[in-house]
This record gives sequence, C-alpha cells and structure tokens, in this order.
Amino acid sequence: MTQAIKFSEDSRDCLQEVSNVAMGRAADLLARLLDVYVILPIPNVNLLEISELHMALSSLEDSESVSAVCQGFIGSNIAGEALLIFNDTSFSDIAELTHFKGVIDKNIELELLMDIANILIGACLQGVSEQLDVKFSQGQPVILGQHIKVPELIKSAKKRWKQTLAIEINYTIENRNINCDLLLLFTEDSLSVLKDKIDYLME
Amino acid sequence: MALPIIICDDSSFARKQMNRALPENWDVDVTFASHGQEALDAIKSGKGEIMFLDLTMPVLDGYGTLEVIKAQDLPSMVIVVSGDIQPEAYERVKKLGALDFIKKPVDREKVTQVLTQYGVIG
Amino acid sequence: MQLQEQDQFQDFHWMIEMLQTIDVGVVVLNKEYQIKSWNGFMENHSGIDSKDAIDACIFVLFKDMDEFWLRHKADTVFKLKNHAFSIWEQHPYIFKFKNNRPITGVAEFMYQNCTFIPIKDLRGEIDKIAILVYDVTDTAVNKLEAIKVTEELKQLSRTDVLTQMYNRGYWEETLVGEFNRFARTNRVSSLVMLDIDHFKKVNDTFGHQAGDAALKMVANTLTQTLRDTDIAGRYGGEEFSIILVDTDAKSSIVFCERLRKVIEKSEIYYAGKQIKLTISLGIYEVHTKLSTYNQWIEGADAALFEAKNSGRNQTKIYKYKDH
Repeated sequence: MTQAIKFSEDSRDCLQEVSNVAMGRAADLLARLLDVYVILPIPNVNLLEISELHMALSSLEDSESVSAVCQGFIGSNIAGEALLIFNDTSFSDIAELTHFKGVIDKNIELELLMDIANILIGACLQGVSEQLDVKFSQGQPVILGQHIKVPELIKSAKKRWKQTLAIEINYTIENRNINCDLLLLFTEDSLSVLKDKIDYLME
Repeated sequence: MALPIIICDDSSFARKQMNRALPENWDVDVTFASHGQEALDAIKSGKGEIMFLDLTMPVLDGYGTLEVIKAQDLPSMVIVVSGDIQPEAYERVKKLGALDFIKKPVDREKVTQVLTQYGVIG
Repeated sequence: MQLQEQDQFQDFHWMIEMLQTIDVGVVVLNKEYQIKSWNGFMENHSGIDSKDAIDACIFVLFKDMDEFWLRHKADTVFKLKNHAFSIWEQHPYIFKFKNNRPITGVAEFMYQNCTFIPIKDLRGEIDKIAILVYDVTDTAVNKLEAIKVTEELKQLSRTDVLTQMYNRGYWEETLVGEFNRFARTNRVSSLVMLDIDHFKKVNDTFGHQAGDAALKMVANTLTQTLRDTDIAGRYGGEEFSIILVDTDAKSSIVFCERLRKVIEKSEIYYAGKQIKLTISLGIYEVHTKLSTYNQWIEGADAALFEAKNSGRNQTKIYKYKDH
C-alpha cells in the first residue's frame, strides 16, 4: 500500500496559484467565445479521500439538477480526470449567447455541454501543463449523465483510489444565469510526481 | 534611498514569484501584503509608491483596492498582476486607474519592460 | 551524409506506412476545408481513393455531411487553438460510413468519436486541422442495447402481469410523489380505492380463469375511463387504486359513478356462461392535516369499507377526521 502523501501549506498554495493562472486562460477563451465576462473565483485545492468527493463539489447543492462530462488526461507520469458539471438551469442562457435558436432539447444541451467542455478542460489542462512543464494527452470525453442530481453523479465515481488531489474551479458568468464547476482530479499515483514538480517550481 | 514597493497577492508562492521577477539591482524596500486591506494600510504608512496587485483575493480584492486608492487619492502607482487575462479585466483595471497590466505567470523581462516604459527605472 | 539521408527517408517511409494502415481515420483539412491528407482507413470505408480526395472540398465530396456543425467545430479549433472532441452520443458520425460487417454488424452505420487537432505551420500559425476518426460502433451498440434493456426492465418491474396496469410497488411510489407535490403546491387531488363486489363468489362459481377475465375487464374499463393525468394501479387481489390529479372529492364522484355504471352494465362471458359484476368505491380527498401518505390510503379504504357495508355497488366519500 502506498503511503498517504502530505502536501505542505506551501505546496497547496503553489498549486492553487498554478490553477489560478490556468483557469484564467480557460476563462479568457470562454469569454472570447461567448463575448461575456467570466467571474473568476479563488480555486479550491484539496487533498481528499475519494469518499469525500462531495466535499470538492462545494458550490453545488445536492438538490440541483446537473449534467456532466468527464475526460481523462495523462502525461509525464501524471494522470487524472477532468470533470465539468453544469447546472441544468444554465443551458438556456448559453444557447442564447451562442445564438442558438430553436427548442433546447437534451441533444442540444449535450452539444453545448461538449463545446464548453472542450474549451474549459483543454485550456485549463494546457495552462497547468505549461506551468509544471509537463505534456498531457486527453482521452475521449465521456458523458456522466444528463439531468441527474449531484449525489447520483458522485455515486458513479468508481472508488478505485483512496486519495485524490482535487482542484475545484467554479465559473460563473456576469449578469447571466450560468454556473459550472470544473474539477481536476489526480490519481493517487500521480501525487508524488506532482509534488516533485511543485517543489521544483517553488525552489 | 530605496523605493518602497508593495507586492500584494493572497498566494505566498505568487508573492515570491513576483519578488523574484523584480529587475536585478533595483533598489527597493519590499512590503508583502496578502490582501487589499493590508496593502491599503501599507500605502497609508508610506510603504507603497509602487504596488504590484493581484485581482482575485479574499477580504478585499484587486478591484476593490483600486477603487479605494482612486477614491481616497492614495499615493501609489499600481501595476496589476493577474491570471485573469480577459480583455474586460484589463479595461476595468485601467478605468480604475491602474498603470498597466501584467499577465501571470510573471517574468522579469516583462516587469522590466513595463517599469522602463513608465520611467520608473532607467 | 548520404547514409543519414537514407535513414531519414527510411523513417519517413515506415511512418507513412503506419499512418496508412492504422485502424483510425486520419483527415487533414486546410482553412478552405480542402482535404490535405486521407489515410487508408478513410479510403477503405468511404470508397474514395486518396488521389480523388486530396484537394477536394470535404463538403463537395460528402454532400449529406452536417456542414454547419463541422464548420462550427473546426472554427473554434482554428480560433482558440485547442483540441476539440466529439462523441457519438452527441453526433453519431461525421462521415457516414455504411456498416460493412455481415455477421456482427447490427448498426446501420459506423458510430464515430472524433478528435480535432490544430496543426501549426513552420511559422507557428494554425493553418490546418487534423480530424481523427475512431470507429466506436461496438461500444455504441452495446450501450444503446443496455439502455433499451434497462428501460424494458424498468417497465416490466412496474407492471402487473395480468392486468398490464402499474403494480402496487410502483403505484405507491407515484402516490408518495403526489402526496409530496400537494405539500409543495397545495393543489388538491383525490385517492380512489376500488374493489370488485363478491369476487370470491366469481372465483368459486366459475373458476379462477373466470376470475382473471373479470379482473382484466375491470382493468380495461378503468384504463379507458381515466384521463391522461390520472394514475391507476392494481393494489392487490381484486382491489384497484386510482390517483385523480387536480380533482376534489366532489368531482371524483362523477368519475367514480361513471365507471361504476359502465361496469354494472357490462357483461362478460366465460365458457358460455354470463358473468355480471359490480364494484364499490371509496374516495378520499387529500388534506393538509395528513402527515403521511399512508393516512391518505387508510381514509380511502375506510370509505370503501363504508360503501361495502351500505350494500355494495356504490361510491362513498371519506371526510377528514383526526387520525
């Protein structure tokens, strides 16, 4: 069994700053695509047990109906999954911003979800990888569910690892009812490599 | 006499990174602040003729800090250093009186260029 | 020097060879949507030779392609310089390829997952994009099949085999839902319990199969009398239960009496013998003082009991009392 890894407050702070820069880039692309201003939060960086995953989804209420996609990434001995969770009430505003006209059905929602996922996940991973000097390749995205409740979403997470590092970024768009959560989860095996990369950055 | 400057960022890593990106041999007296309120206090006690200011921070964020500086006409030239690189963020801080905007992650070359441009260093 | 060039040529040769034979489609497009590369996978599945494909506009070559969608995808890749993905759930395919497998091919066409990759020229500008096309037909068919089976199982687990109405378990779930809805919205609804009179005698006189026929007749009549929003189920034995949504007790009588009269007039014949049936019904309108849905059922049951005691073949309403 692998020893549980501990991150010092300095390491956590460093990773938070790295996430901050990465999410800024992702937000910039989204802002350009939708022609809006994206409000940036302070990212949440937490080392947690998989069973505590719901704690990483702090900005989502259990009763909310959400849709989510998930995409694996791997490179330089760091691997994990990016999760994008959309509040279902966001879709009508996104459709409006993307000049979509017509009835918004589940297929259209999926299309919008995938468009935003491509941008946010891709740009965020690129931001992280450039700063840490690693290269990630992304797998095919997988739909975790449409119109499901947060607890159902968490249930679908396989509890294969004990520990994970979670970076949560909650994007909201100014003057719009759009709210989504981007979560980067790293595998247990990646943590020591990640720690080395951060230590190197902090030197 | 050393020039009093403030580096204001909630992340200690970001403060260190900024400190390292300052031009070599620049005679400065650096005060660190972890949010806007601390920075304002430091400016009022004359420690921040120049300030490198982050935007996303707890307690008082960068926008709020700029507003107070503008409203109270505090003696500090502010250069915003942020990961929020949306064009709108740039426009907003310029309107609030910031001198310039440097995208994170910072590097010495860019910092030197901005300081030179505004005649802070020769 | 010459040897080194030969080595490089060798490397180039086997890489091209691999690109040709790999079981993934590789297409390169320029900004004008002209095809710049078309590998073996694409040749084989489209039946279009690469010499005919190269430099042709992709929308001319594939007339039924979703041009608007592809342009939208490609534009974001050119503009934002990031990778983009499309999956079969969202868009079953980009290139419509017939499924060519006589034995294992259940799908009509190939399901595809696609990855869009920006390609830089020597100056670092994005001037082309590559599209990788993955055949995911097997995964898609399995997943669709699984969804269908789950849906069927769900339907089965809710249905009473004999009457094809909702079974008690599922019906009670919907009753809980309705009870909670009332707590939220205060919109009234009524619960009706229905029982076939002297059902035991039908069974004893004509046999169990005649009893089954009687149950089916009542179930069919009930289903035909219902409005779309009402929810009926077989509660157990010869007892049925109905939720009349947005209906108070007074209006429920109209429904109950109509149903009771239709059944009274109906005749069923079993093995040449005529069977006449009547039913008794109890109504209970939902009440704000009820703390559980069980109390709602108990009230409707009490009204049904009263209808039975008063001589059967009639409808009774239960009035709220403190439980």
